[in-house]
Amino acid sequence: MGQYEYNRAASVSEAVVLLNEPGLKSRALAGGTDILLQLRHDPRYCDRLVDISQIPELHRIELKDGWVHIGAAATFNEVLNSPIIKATARVLEQACITVGAVQIRNMGTLGGNVVNAAACADSLPALICLDAVAHFLTSAGEQLLPVTQFVSAPNKTLLPSGALLTSLRYPVPTSGCRSAFIKLGRRNAMAISRLTVAALGCLDEQNRIVEARLVTGSATPHIERLTVVEQSLIGKQPSAELFHSAAKITVDEMIRLAGYRWSSEYKVPALTAMTERVLTQVFIWDEVQ
Amino acid sequence: MKIQFILNGMPAETEAPQDKTLLNVLRENFGLTGTKEGCNVGECGACSVLIDGRLVNSCLTLAAQASGHNIVTIEGVHLPDGSPNDLQQAFIEYGAVQCGFCTPGMVLAGEALLAQNPQPTRQDIRTAIAGNLCRCTGYQQIVDAIQSTAQNRQEKKGHA
Repeated sequence: MGQYEYNRAASVSEAVVLLNEPGLKSRALAGGTDILLQLRHDPRYCDRLVDISQIPELHRIELKDGWVHIGAAATFNEVLNSPIIKATARVLEQACITVGAVQIRNMGTLGGNVVNAAACADSLPALICLDAVAHFLTSAGEQLLPVTQFVSAPNKTLLPSGALLTSLRYPVPTSGCRSAFIKLGRRNAMAISRLTVAALGCLDEQNRIVEARLVTGSATPHIERLTVVEQSLIGKQPSAELFHSAAKITVDEMIRLAGYRWSSEYKVPALTAMTERVLTQVFIWDEVQ
Repeated sequence: MKIQFILNGMPAETEAPQDKTLLNVLRENFGLTGTKEGCNVGECGACSVLIDGRLVNSCLTLAAQASGHNIVTIEGVHLPDGSPNDLQQAFIEYGAVQCGFCTPGMVLAGEALLAQNPQPTRQDIRTAIAGNLCRCTGYQQIVDAIQSTAQNRQEKKGHA
């Protein structure tokens, strides 16, 4: 007997039964890169780990009825190597590439990143930029919530106790839409994000912006689409001046939502440059590629 | 609980507590001390092993999770006569080993890369070993060793 027990679930329904077994505090184990460390710091975190990482269904990545479904236990490497993700969500592919290094990308999962809900989680701004929805199974049945609501605050989600996050789904962006993700860390690999920015958008035939989405990470306590910034772009033609003014609004939003903090001195110029860059990558693609 | 897996090509079995890491089971139950404990939080890569060909940190993997899978540790990388393979030989020739603590993880990271990408660029190699810290060499010699092994293996393949 160790400090905690281990049970491997063979199916999603078995996992939910195990997670709800009375008398035991059970938690889902996917990649283990966060939860095993958590258990070393806090032995009372749970009594049993229910291993969901070997349920084939939870690794599936598929396109169905205009939505991309990503099984919650798909690893970062499985996500970033998926042709479906590459074709529909460059923003998510790029976000997954920035996670840790090979080992962590082989172990850590998209669902784990969402449920762990760190303010600096690399996948969250990308998923929220894609309008992704979290699907979870409780003993009463399946429920869903947009990821931006599901992750309610840093390290907090609305996942009910005993429920299992089963998939993350996003509507395939309109054809012609482009997306991009930029991360700022202390170094390229194994770095916790200091700031991230995700953007998606498309132009009409007159080269005017018809769709624009922008989300920052590690910048505000709650991760959400910055609609004021998005609206400032709609109907305009892409230009350095436009992106500079959008970047200023982004920074104002960060300060409005997070307050002026000790790190703002650094984050204001950094986020300004990152926003300009990500918008350039999305709307003036050819110059970057 | 009973743990069973294929370890370096041979069926292996042991008893271990359910919360024991693969790292500790390899070192303590099987005496395979080539897999090192560095940071024990998944940042240094000294404990890297291959599970079903995928490079993972064994300090953040429970042995129970690995049960039923195919594990390769540094002890499983050698020529049939037990001598160093070409990548290990290149590490020696290029001075890619100083204190040697990171070397098992580095070699496995190199093998994982070459299995997937036989013609890596220097940048590919740097990305592939980004999760393995070395405090001695400054990495250049390690990148050189992996690059020369890749080239030699390609040439050999060309001749075959």
